[in-house]
Amino acid sequence: MLVVPLFGLIIALYAWPVINILWLGVSDPELGIQNYKLLFTKSSLVKILWTTIRVCLITTLFSVVIGYLIAYAMVHLVGRERNWMLTLVLISFWVSVLVRAFSWLTLLGRNGLVNAALVGSGLVEEPISMIRNEFGVLIGMVHYMVPYAVLPLFANMQGIDHRVMDASRSLGAGPLLTFLRIYLPLTKPGVIAASLLVFIISLGFYVTPALLGGGRVLMVAEYVSVQILITVQWGVAAMLATLLLSGVLALLYIMSRFMNIGEVFGARG
Amino acid sequence: MQDKMFYKDLAFTGAKDFKSGKLGRREFLYLCALAGVASSSVIAGDAEAAANEIVLWNWGGDAVKCHTSAFGAAFTKESGLPVKYDTSGPLQGKIKEMVNSGNVTADVADADAFDAISLGKSGHLEKIDYSVVDKKKVLEGFAWDYGVSIIFYGYAFMYDTKKFKNNPPSTWADFFNTKKYPGKRSLYKWANGSLEGALMADGVSKDKVYPMDLDRAINKIKSIKSDTIFWGSGSEAQQMIVNGEVSMGMVWLNRAKAVEADTNGRYRLNMNEAIAMPGAYLVPKGNPAGRANVMKFIASCQVAERQIEILRCHGMTPSNPEAFGMIPDDLKRFAVTSKENLSRVLLNDPIWWAKNGGNAVNKFLEAIG
Repeated sequence: MLVVPLFGLIIALYAWPVINILWLGVSDPELGIQNYKLLFTKSSLVKILWTTIRVCLITTLFSVVIGYLIAYAMVHLVGRERNWMLTLVLISFWVSVLVRAFSWLTLLGRNGLVNAALVGSGLVEEPISMIRNEFGVLIGMVHYMVPYAVLPLFANMQGIDHRVMDASRSLGAGPLLTFLRIYLPLTKPGVIAASLLVFIISLGFYVTPALLGGGRVLMVAEYVSVQILITVQWGVAAMLATLLLSGVLALLYIMSRFMNIGEVFGARG
Repeated sequence: MQDKMFYKDLAFTGAKDFKSGKLGRREFLYLCALAGVASSSVIAGDAEAAANEIVLWNWGGDAVKCHTSAFGAAFTKESGLPVKYDTSGPLQGKIKEMVNSGNVTADVADADAFDAISLGKSGHLEKIDYSVVDKKKVLEGFAWDYGVSIIFYGYAFMYDTKKFKNNPPSTWADFFNTKKYPGKRSLYKWANGSLEGALMADGVSKDKVYPMDLDRAINKIKSIKSDTIFWGSGSEAQQMIVNGEVSMGMVWLNRAKAVEADTNGRYRLNMNEAIAMPGAYLVPKGNPAGRANVMKFIASCQVAERQIEILRCHGMTPSNPEAFGMIPDDLKRFAVTSKENLSRVLLNDPIWWAKNGGNAVNKFLEAIG
């Protein structure tokens, strides 16, 4: 009985706005499914969705691989060194997304530090275009997402009993085989949690693609914002938002068929 | 976003209760802390419009300083009404949302003419009262039922004088000719100005630009797509040029002077075929200060001297013909409506944009994405 007010609060503050968005998607500008039909008639929408998914998948891949290496190193360090590393990861975790995007602009720009060094040392003749394109967006996003990959992986790796690896070695497996057959499978929940987390957060990226993409990498979040603020096609925006939301939910559902989602995100099932 | 507004609202309600003695001081300070706002600003009613003040909704940055020195201070002196600012940027979607929500907190918005036309049609705006606001103090054709042009802004391109020393580009055709003028370009991301420039580059004469042939414009844009980067904000446009990322870059006109200064004159503004955009002052329906007060405010912004001050301070060009002759010599080059420029710029057609803008922006985004 005590949870009833809390439940009411969640309905009022969370479910109601979501229902509103769902409703807007089928009622603006008029009642019907015309906004959803656009998905089949407007190839540009599919292209935007595909760009989003592609960028997010690549971001996830690189973030998780880099995050895995960092987490692995952190688990095998002790005391002060581990704390230092954790501090560095957390500091970059806390730096605002805007500041990071602008730092990359300064570093990788045409007359930026990196290009100046490359041209100055004679390695390249013309400055390389590293920003204002998809490559720039990926750099910015991977950089942002690495800490999100490190933290669940680190938590997962810390829980692994290292005597299992010792046992494997004592039974004659080499370091590589031990890693591939024993360690990697043991970190699978961590890898899945990190991948899910990174992918889902990446889907909503807005600032990084807008600044580092030079306008040529259009992802769903930015498109939604344009439809709300500039072109005032709220129905299309609501439809895309609904699509994103159901995509994320579907992803979680599929994962839940294979494993305990609660366990992946650290809750005890 | 939503909870921020909720807390802000809570704090404002709290401020009223605190002033009327219904709420204790400690509880009020607690509310303010919760909302993350300074208690002093809430007590002063910062951005909270009431019948005894005018809230001007603008785009922040220098706008607050310049709107105060040009319009606000003088109006307060005349009328006794303080002028306050909401700096969140009156995009069309935000104005619509504000009026729909029934919680109208701004009296007048420094928005675009096409917003005035399309939001006027959809019933989100108050009519301009032309018995108070003077139609004669607006360039002919730029006073509409639901909005009136106080200033012009606009789009033009700047070019690298070092790179194109002997043969400086002067038309959009030059801008789109990457063979003759090599190097990167930058254009505005939300289509405005970029489409007009593309059509002129493709050989459409200035008086034939509207109604725009969208497909033709977009094909032209696509022809230089691989050499072009796109900006969404004035500071981004400025940065692309100052950092030397482009050899020709489109800018908002009011930024041009600063860019020339920042690059020590290396980049120079080309005003030929610039696209002049009428800004519009418009009034959200049910504005808190009432229609009579806000019309007086808008009329007070038509005074020629005040419009010259907004040009000096903020780089926005006057719309009052009386002011055209008063533009100081050093600013003439940057002003849309100065004698030397008025005949060679393209005046944007807000009626076309109000009708086709959404479609144009989306088509443009899809083409460059």
